[in-house]
Amino acid sequence: MSFLAPLFLIASAAIAVPIFVHLIQRERKRVVLFPSLMFVQKIPYQSVRRRRIRHWALLLMRCAALLLIVAAFARPFLKQEIAAAAAIGGTKEVVILLDHSASMGYGDHWQKAKDAAHQAVRALGNSDKATLVLFSRNAEESMRATSDRARLDVAIDNSKVDADSTRYGPALKLAESILLRSTARRRETILISDFQRAGWTGSEDVHFPDGYAVTPVSVATPDAENIAVPSVTFARAAFSGTERVTVTAGIANRGATPQADVPVSLDVEGLPIQTQHVKVGANAAASITFTQFTLDKPIVKGTVRAGTDQLPADNTFHFTVSPTAPVSLLVVEGGDRQESSLYLIKALGISTTPTFQTDVMPVVRVSPSNFEKRAAVILNDVAFPPAAANGALKQFVERGGGLLIAAGEHTTWPQGEKDLMPGTLGATVDRTAGRGATLGFIDHSHFVFEVFKAPRSGDFSAAQIYRYRRIDPAPGDRVLARFDDGAVAAAERKVGAGRVIVWASALDDSYSDLPKKPVYLPLVHQLVKYLAQFEAPHAWQTVGQVVDVQSLTKSRANWVVVTPSGKRVPQSGPLELAEQGVYDVRPAGGADAFAPQAIAVNIDPAEEDLTPVDPAELVAAVTGHAAAAPAGALPTAAEAEQIDIKEAERKQSFWWYLLVTGLLLLAAETVVSNRLSQSEKFL
Amino acid sequence: MPGARFVDPKILARIGNLELLARTVVDGFINGLHRAPYFGASIDFAEHRGYVAGDDIRRVDWRLYARTDRYYIKQYEADTNANFCVILDISKSMSFGSRGVTKLEYASYLGACLAYLAHKQRDRVGIITFDSEVVSYVPPSAKHFDVLLHTLDRSKAERRGDLTKALAGMAEHFKRRTIIVMISDFYEDPSAILEAVKPLHFLGNDLIAFHVLDPAELDFGFEDASSFEDLESGEQIPVVPQSFADEYRQLIRAHIESLKTKFSEHRVDYMLASTAEPLDRALFSYLSARERLMRVR
Repeated sequence: MSFLAPLFLIASAAIAVPIFVHLIQRERKRVVLFPSLMFVQKIPYQSVRRRRIRHWALLLMRCAALLLIVAAFARPFLKQEIAAAAAIGGTKEVVILLDHSASMGYGDHWQKAKDAAHQAVRALGNSDKATLVLFSRNAEESMRATSDRARLDVAIDNSKVDADSTRYGPALKLAESILLRSTARRRETILISDFQRAGWTGSEDVHFPDGYAVTPVSVATPDAENIAVPSVTFARAAFSGTERVTVTAGIANRGATPQADVPVSLDVEGLPIQTQHVKVGANAAASITFTQFTLDKPIVKGTVRAGTDQLPADNTFHFTVSPTAPVSLLVVEGGDRQESSLYLIKALGISTTPTFQTDVMPVVRVSPSNFEKRAAVILNDVAFPPAAANGALKQFVERGGGLLIAAGEHTTWPQGEKDLMPGTLGATVDRTAGRGATLGFIDHSHFVFEVFKAPRSGDFSAAQIYRYRRIDPAPGDRVLARFDDGAVAAAERKVGAGRVIVWASALDDSYSDLPKKPVYLPLVHQLVKYLAQFEAPHAWQTVGQVVDVQSLTKSRANWVVVTPSGKRVPQSGPLELAEQGVYDVRPAGGADAFAPQAIAVNIDPAEEDLTPVDPAELVAAVTGHAAAAPAGALPTAAEAEQIDIKEAERKQSFWWYLLVTGLLLLAAETVVSNRLSQSEKFL
Repeated sequence: MPGARFVDPKILARIGNLELLARTVVDGFINGLHRAPYFGASIDFAEHRGYVAGDDIRRVDWRLYARTDRYYIKQYEADTNANFCVILDISKSMSFGSRGVTKLEYASYLGACLAYLAHKQRDRVGIITFDSEVVSYVPPSAKHFDVLLHTLDRSKAERRGDLTKALAGMAEHFKRRTIIVMISDFYEDPSAILEAVKPLHFLGNDLIAFHVLDPAELDFGFEDASSFEDLESGEQIPVVPQSFADEYRQLIRAHIESLKTKFSEHRVDYMLASTAEPLDRALFSYLSARERLMRVR
């Protein structure tokens, strides 16, 4: 039997208190002055000495209660049990969570983290097992549970800082699952990190079972200084048939010290364009604008660099910029009416992002070649184009083209092309007798109507539709909008890689006053952008994002991706952007049919903020109680043994039984002494 | 009883002047007694006796001389006045009081009231205070009422008492027949008290004993376990009152009964006076006893 807090045993000297009370305290009782003790003296009584001897049991009871309470405070535990536990299956399962996110590249953080990991390995017992988990945004087991310290050390030495952001949730969940699988009696997670606040939102659903220890080891530098380039913006201008771009970079100072002279430079295609100096206040941001340059290539790569500090990763910002490419559209109209596509053409003509290159053609002049290199075709209240028969239009859609059918009185659809039409086209419904129809249901979850989701973002109820074509959608078709009588107003069908939408009314003012309403312009833009599958080019991506190479290149050819570190990876599907820099996407086999692409990748701006979260807060959130040891250093062997003792004492919890027994004894003593005192004539 | 509200010991304790106190109590008490047989008795005509040389001729009954042609002197009851003496115990135990009035204060009021009564009957009043010895002695005199009150007023219960020792030589102070009122808490063995009191009784003195006790001494109503300290000896004994009270009450009752019996055997009037009781009750007891004795004589 040993004690966790033996100093409390000094309090056992308090056992003298009841004896002292028996011997001396008697004299301190309340004194009552009485005229004469003549009669009191006449009453026979027992002497104090005799009474104490008779109530020796009471005294023993008091002493025992005191000793039990003192022993409870001294926190006793059985050492043999700890030794036995260690001998029989008392191994320890340790998960070393090593943060290798981009922020760990700050100063000597990474070296300190690896040293801490090595120390954790050295602290392992012979039969203990450890798992090394490297984590940033995701977590992976670098070394599965092993007792081989050498392998663990090698795994630690081979690990490197990556460019991803910090997230503690996945790492802790992985550690929990590893520990849950373990059969060891003691299970511990050692979390080595700079404890960036951005990595812990507090909403992670991670709760370790009782008895699982989490030991935080913080390598954070207090009041770390950091200069970063979180973003850039572009201003385009047309000049002599080409485009010129002006780059404006934002500079953030994440430190408490103002930076008076931060050099900021812009490189384009490896050539320096300009270097400027900027003043940034403490915990503030500034912007700087560079001279414009000409976009003389389909993709221009650029880099902004700002200052030098202990975290160089976020001092560099990569981007790509391309000349604006208009979306090519073909509007097919009847040709028998003047300006039947007036509203449509005007609406498409005033778009900037993207710009639309719209060609209007009568239906009789349409040929299959007119569909080539079009992003979308609009059949504006016309009969089915004869040239589109025999699958020409269907092939165009299956390759990824878009088709918008504005169903008016002239619209016809041959039975042979029913695969393209979302539903069956019916008769015209005339609603001119009343106030006309309105749109009663709109699917705001669809891309086309998503922009109208927020309140006061477009009032479709103001538009009155006087006539429309009845459409009966097929089971696989998606209804995007309905009129107030429940009739389908818009439906969509996906055909191959392309999309087809039928609008049940004309897009001019012959069937409705919709073209005269404010919602007409964004509605047309959304319809066309959706059908053309337009995506605004991203000037940069963030580490960890996934890019679909086919979608990026708009081709199903084979591609080779050259990573920023120079590795060539054949890729035709999703590509995870794991490195900071510029990825080059080139056609495989040196084919010149497709233009190469480039993807600029930067680290997550959240990594720039090195403000740490309190490790104790994180540990408390995960385990439900405070950390066993303060963050910053792993316990030594002696400290580890002390922690084991504490853990053993906590599990044995003898103090609880001792305390309860002591209190019960005191309660019994109260009852007994009260009864005895009632039967006594004298104290 | 009209005026009874004035005789509560606690209220009387607020009156600093003992004469005023005595008058308040006694007048109120007498006024309340309807047709008391004692009223005016002291100034009534008693008898005639033959003139002898030296008698004051102003006291000759000239009307009787006219009828009988002999000189007779009128004698009044006042002429038969006796001495009245209060023997007051002022030992330390008399300083005890659990209800605002100490036994000594109560005894002083009682003594003052009795002396006032006697003084109104033209008795000569005197006082002896004692603890273990005689502290002060005021011989009975018609002019000593004020001195008696003064003596009562300045009496302090400070020293240890010894009743038998103090009474030992006291009898020699009484040369004439005297009504002796003895006020004490009688914390002595009853037999020893009787032995000490006997000499006072030998000369034909009327002895009335007032046994003054506090209610706490009678019912021992203490609750908390405490050390009880003897006021006179300073000795302390730890006591648990709840388990002790019954036995104590038996002992004090036995003591009172013993005193009552022994005093009665020696024709000494004994009256127990609790300091919680109004003074008129003690006075009534006293006068009842006097009446009874007069009838016997």
